[in-house]
Amino acid sequence: MKFFTPFRKKSPWVLHYNAGSCNGCDIEILAALGPKFDLERFGVINTGNPKQSDIFLVTGPVTYRSRERLVELYSQIPEPKVVVAVGSCTATGGVFRGMYNVEDGIDRYIPVDVYVPGCASSPQLIIDALVKGLEVLEAKSKEIEKPYKLFGAIETIANKLSRLNMATKVGQNEKD
Amino acid sequence: MKKTIQIPLGSQHISLLEPIRFKFECENEKIIGVDADVGFVHRGVELACTRSFEFKQVGYVVARVCGLCAITHSLSYTLAVEKLLGYVANDRIKYLRMLMVELDRIHSHMLCLAHTAENAGFEALFMQIMGDRELIMDVQEAISGNRVQFDYISIGGVNRDLTPELVALTHKNLGLLSEKIDALIGLFDNNWSLSLKYKGVGVLSLEEAYTYNALGPLARAAGLATDVRAETSDFPYEALGYTMILESTGDIHARNFVRLREIVNSIAMCRNIIENLPIGEIQEKAKGKPNGEAVVRVEAPRGELFYLVRGSGQNMLDRVRIKTPTFSAIPAMMEVFKGAEYADAPAILASFDPCMSCTAK
Repeated sequence: MKFFTPFRKKSPWVLHYNAGSCNGCDIEILAALGPKFDLERFGVINTGNPKQSDIFLVTGPVTYRSRERLVELYSQIPEPKVVVAVGSCTATGGVFRGMYNVEDGIDRYIPVDVYVPGCASSPQLIIDALVKGLEVLEAKSKEIEKPYKLFGAIETIANKLSRLNMATKVGQNEKD
Repeated sequence: MKKTIQIPLGSQHISLLEPIRFKFECENEKIIGVDADVGFVHRGVELACTRSFEFKQVGYVVARVCGLCAITHSLSYTLAVEKLLGYVANDRIKYLRMLMVELDRIHSHMLCLAHTAENAGFEALFMQIMGDRELIMDVQEAISGNRVQFDYISIGGVNRDLTPELVALTHKNLGLLSEKIDALIGLFDNNWSLSLKYKGVGVLSLEEAYTYNALGPLARAAGLATDVRAETSDFPYEALGYTMILESTGDIHARNFVRLREIVNSIAMCRNIIENLPIGEIQEKAKGKPNGEAVVRVEAPRGELFYLVRGSGQNMLDRVRIKTPTFSAIPAMMEVFKGAEYADAPAILASFDPCMSCTAK
């Protein structure tokens, strides 16, 4: 695993999903990938395949019909993954908050690591968010690569012997 | 034994900017039937315009129907409300509104051309057009303060004025862009690999365009002379050098060419506007509450945009009806797919320049 870590950090692939946005943030993501802002200098490539991507860029205030697809795409991305919510309406619902077919933001359905403000978010903000997302991705990769303790304490939970807490990560339970 | 296979495209796909799902009924490589599902991004803007927002705010809400043609949406709504209030804008306001609409048309058409090139497998051209498009985005940001979703138009005027520095910047960038568009016209006309992907692919004939209600560049590429800019008199388009662009073949190549030549036309119109800008106020008082019913048609980058606004003298409107160009053109699009190769489907789809946020609202 150590062999792959530097490569994953340098070249995060991006999956972009429009969950009901107005296209404003989507064309700004395209502009950020274009030559003027040049997101590809960080190794970012827009891929259509969730199984090959590390960063999930979501725009839009999750509509009723796109919510299943959002969760499905999120669950197909392999760990470690980072979710970036692009735009005001992705964070809170924005101007669409309270409309009858809108679920008011994506954090009702999937955990979000980086929020990007703005309606529409500018490419500069999107680049900042992806660089921030790279840090999160690195922290998450380190967390995944920590070894499990093989033998932990056997505890009594609800009057029964339990091995649930045996396999914890190194440094997770500082009390023992 | 069943002789056809069903191939889905979407709702999430690398060649799609927005969620739309197609079910292609294919016989070997040929598409013989197609079924489209466009409702993934339906949010309910029309109802919210009459329940949650007052009529002064709705102009900024309907701009969020679509990011690409946001200015056309807010312009149509504003025109409808101004008709109900009995307010007529002065010439300077009209010219400034036209300037932003034409700039928006240029950048929308360039995005479509870039996307069509990418979906035909020409990624370098995508990057080149996206780079050229930034010239227009810079002008829009300088004039309005935001790259997309600039809430430039308000009821009774526009929100920012054009200063001499902005005029100089606009002139400079339009000059740079027009050279690049000339080079692009040569490239789209003469490049051999582009002609393999574009010429004779995705043909819509004139009769089909007429029968299935095609609009905008899709119709004009087939030779159907329909353009709201020539049909209405809300804006002095004729005086500023508007010409209708028509092609005859109706394939992807013709649609690209309609867009390229419309960009050239829009650049000329933008130059005329900023050279002949009248003097006047940019914001005037439009008093009263909307009472009655008004219908407005405006040419969006994709075709005719239709607004119906009904009010009864209250702060809240009774009805806002939006009919968008992509929604009207769906039957024509379905017709183009039939008989095409499956491998051409993404390029054909991109050449329609579909806007699902507009369609589903």
